[in-house]
Amino acid sequence: MNGTSNLLSWILWMPIIGVLGILFIPKAKENAIRMWALLNTAITMVLSVKLWMGFDNSIAGMQDAFTIKMKWIEQFNINYHLAVDGISMPMILLTSLLLFLCVLCSWTVSKQVKGYYALLLFLQSTVYGVFLSMDFFLFYVYWEVMLIPMFFLIGIWGGENREYAAVKFFLYTFFGSILMLVGMVALYHATGMGAESFNLLALKAQADQFIQMKVSLFGMSIPFDKLFFVFMFIGFAIKVPVFPFHTWLPHAHVQAPTAISVILAGVLLKMGTYGFLRIAFPIFPSATVYFAECIAALGLINIIYGAFCAMAQTDVKKLIAYSSVSHMGFVMMGMAAMTTQGMNGAVLQMFNHGTSTAMMFLLIGILYERSHHRWIIRPDGSRGFGGLYTQLPVYSIIFIIAMFASMGLPGLSGFISEALIFLGMFPVYTTMTVIALLGLLIGAAYLLWMFKRMFFGDVVEENKSYTDMNAREIFYMAPLCVAVIVFGIWPSPILNIMKASVNDLVTLLGKY
Amino acid sequence: MARFVPEITLVVTMIGLLFVESTYSNEEKGSKKNFLYATAYIGLLFTLVKLIGSLGDEPTAIFTNSLTIDPFSTLSKIIMVLGTAASIYLSRKSSDIYENVKGEFVIISVGVLIGGMLLSSANNMLILYIGIEILSILSYVLASLKKNDDRSSEAGLKYSLYGGISAGIMLFGLSHIFGVVGTIQFAGIAGKLAKLDTVQIAVLMPSFLLFFAGIGYKIACVPFHMWAPDVYEGSPLPVTTFFSIVPKIAGIAVLVRVTMAFFGGADVTLLQMSWVGTLSVVAALTMTVGNVSAIGQRSVKRMLAYSSISHAGVMMLGVLCLSEIGVRAILFYGITYLFMTLVAFFITSAVQDEYGNDHFERFSGLIGKHPLMAIFMIITMFSLAGLPPLSGFVAKFNIFNALIAKKYYVLTIIAGLNSVVALFYYMKIIRIMVFKKSENDSGIKGFDFSYQVAVACLAIPVVLLGVFWENILVVANGAKIFIQ
Repeated sequence: MNGTSNLLSWILWMPIIGVLGILFIPKAKENAIRMWALLNTAITMVLSVKLWMGFDNSIAGMQDAFTIKMKWIEQFNINYHLAVDGISMPMILLTSLLLFLCVLCSWTVSKQVKGYYALLLFLQSTVYGVFLSMDFFLFYVYWEVMLIPMFFLIGIWGGENREYAAVKFFLYTFFGSILMLVGMVALYHATGMGAESFNLLALKAQADQFIQMKVSLFGMSIPFDKLFFVFMFIGFAIKVPVFPFHTWLPHAHVQAPTAISVILAGVLLKMGTYGFLRIAFPIFPSATVYFAECIAALGLINIIYGAFCAMAQTDVKKLIAYSSVSHMGFVMMGMAAMTTQGMNGAVLQMFNHGTSTAMMFLLIGILYERSHHRWIIRPDGSRGFGGLYTQLPVYSIIFIIAMFASMGLPGLSGFISEALIFLGMFPVYTTMTVIALLGLLIGAAYLLWMFKRMFFGDVVEENKSYTDMNAREIFYMAPLCVAVIVFGIWPSPILNIMKASVNDLVTLLGKY
Repeated sequence: MARFVPEITLVVTMIGLLFVESTYSNEEKGSKKNFLYATAYIGLLFTLVKLIGSLGDEPTAIFTNSLTIDPFSTLSKIIMVLGTAASIYLSRKSSDIYENVKGEFVIISVGVLIGGMLLSSANNMLILYIGIEILSILSYVLASLKKNDDRSSEAGLKYSLYGGISAGIMLFGLSHIFGVVGTIQFAGIAGKLAKLDTVQIAVLMPSFLLFFAGIGYKIACVPFHMWAPDVYEGSPLPVTTFFSIVPKIAGIAVLVRVTMAFFGGADVTLLQMSWVGTLSVVAALTMTVGNVSAIGQRSVKRMLAYSSISHAGVMMLGVLCLSEIGVRAILFYGITYLFMTLVAFFITSAVQDEYGNDHFERFSGLIGKHPLMAIFMIITMFSLAGLPPLSGFVAKFNIFNALIAKKYYVLTIIAGLNSVVALFYYMKIIRIMVFKKSENDSGIKGFDFSYQVAVACLAIPVVLLGVFWENILVVANGAKIFIQ
């Protein structure tokens, strides 16, 4: 063990302790299960904050104070290796916060409570595993295991079409992971005889070596790094999701229960972009530079295409799902710019999109509990919602905050990250930046239209019976409101965490 | 001779079983039947202990070099013995085998096991052929064990016709090889192969293909797989379980031995290239055909049968690497495959006994009725599909590792895409167990306590081997192939 503290292991395994605890609580004691899950996520959150407190912003690489390295499979040089740096730290905070809120927002789930919370905590552990693993093998294990709880959470607790959505999500991601697995094993063998390793840092250190290598495929000689960059890229792109691999996302989002939509949009999509930053970019820097324009172009397609798709939706949740596709496009473009601002903006956007989109999904969930539908305009042409502003004032105000944060209005978190991304992109991809700005405009248009149709105008008859948010709902919305406002005005706490690590990556890429 | 004790034990066990079986009438049950099973278990247990005990011994060749006893064959034998023991346990519980032929199943399966063990130790072509024939002829009887069931009879007939033809073709190939190289010893053949001229190689190439047809039939690889689904479906379920383990592992073991003996050398010959080429094409086709055919199945048993075809394809990938890590990967795969197959078949068997058939719908709502059994089934299905941290994933990882070490990227990708297809049909049964409502609330009687314990014992390794695989790796690493 390198580090002096086991904090990362505690964070990783705390949810598993939670799962074990739940297994011992009788099925009928639903409230006890909920309280236990809440307590467990609260402890994990405290641990994450403790990690944040001990985090040294000035270190660009992995924080030695928290690194844990133990042998697992010696013959393959596979280690249980956890570490944290400026890119993973915000993700850990985001995960801890969102999971805590998800337990609260799932209070009304009454179907198989025990299984639900056990899977939710299990999911949390796997997400931490992805963000903390410094061993590619370990990373892959967590990346894959994450599919299992998601599959059941969507498949059992989801909407009407849940089974289809769960299967599609599972198969799509699994397909990407297989390509990643092939790339991973190829990398392992490429690190040289006798010194084969899955260590991500070691792989990063050998990046230059991979550029020289060739792979023979169907008789053609293909550069090693370019081929496997594409493999990794597809694996991660499916998770982001990058066009044209995005088709699983609207289904999964719409069918998933509220908490799962929140986790999906808030955390899981970030696993894709995190994968780029942690694995694809540093290990294949030259291929990254080579493909940068393609990545930017795909990001642009995501922005525009996602925004247009969102505009066409009559289902609020689907609309927000497509808006996620659009917003993740900004992250992609910011990363592809490979400038300091662009990259910082991308990582910040990963965090900010996590909070703002979580707000939107939580709010839709709250509304759904009252209305049991999500139609802005029903299929028969009548209005699903209308005049909510007069009916649900508190809800409406929070909704406005979330919407404006998502839209990127100055003073709210989305603005800072998007502004940084555009600043970073402009000198590199001027034309694309201008087109991407159009995405912001379309984004404002669909969100405002949605808002107008749902909240203004005459009150739809059935909306009159809806009650405003209760204390529990306000309680779990509050931290997110605070986050989007505070980080909108004062983003430095998050920016400071990531700055050193991100700049390091930008410098690395700049050499190629 | 001392090294032959496991086989001798089994022969003695078989004779003992014949005595026990012949001393009571079919109507009689109870203590004598218990005695029969006890005899079988004691024999198998003794064999197993002997085998495990000799795992670390120096490899030797016995009976004028016609059999080699090396760690590789010993490990294959251990897998086969475990598979046989589990199948016998299953046969006792299953109502798919008529009460009056249960004794026969026990005796014959021990016989098949002896054939399989000979096969995995074969050091010359004659023993190889004898091993295959012992294995096959007894298997034909097993397939048609349900005497008055049309499909079972059909299975037996189909199996024996195909088997007979393929054995003939193989013998033809073997005699050709003998004609050219002048010896039947593996080591001798290997020595001669290195010194052949072009004409001789040209003559030998088709004979190796004919030879391969015989082995290919045994492991049910494409295009010799046609018999498998029908035979697997027609045979009683414990027999299917047995077939998907013992003959398959024996076939793979002999394929590994022959390939490593003849082509494991460093020098690349035309013959070696064509053998590896053939194996590559066959493996890719086997995986794909097995998986694609499994998708449309309504019967779980048939689905598992097709999936076992595709698993044979994956194991072949390890063979064609011609490397030690390839062999190690196959052994690891064999061990995990044993446990996964057994769990899947054990659970299917109980469901089939309850409802009279094994259609997918029969599994609906199993999670509500028998949560533990359903969870084991879910774990096994995910493991078969190759999801971490389960043993199936590690097995697949090892195979991929061997392939990529040899830079066979295309094959790796084909194998990878196949696991996506496989996940689709494995997920089907999970979906039915978890998401579908059950038709009735009655539990499944077959899942009594002892049965649940048995399934648990088989399912726990499926999980544990996925996390703690270092030790198994060490064992598989030591399993060197010895040819003299």
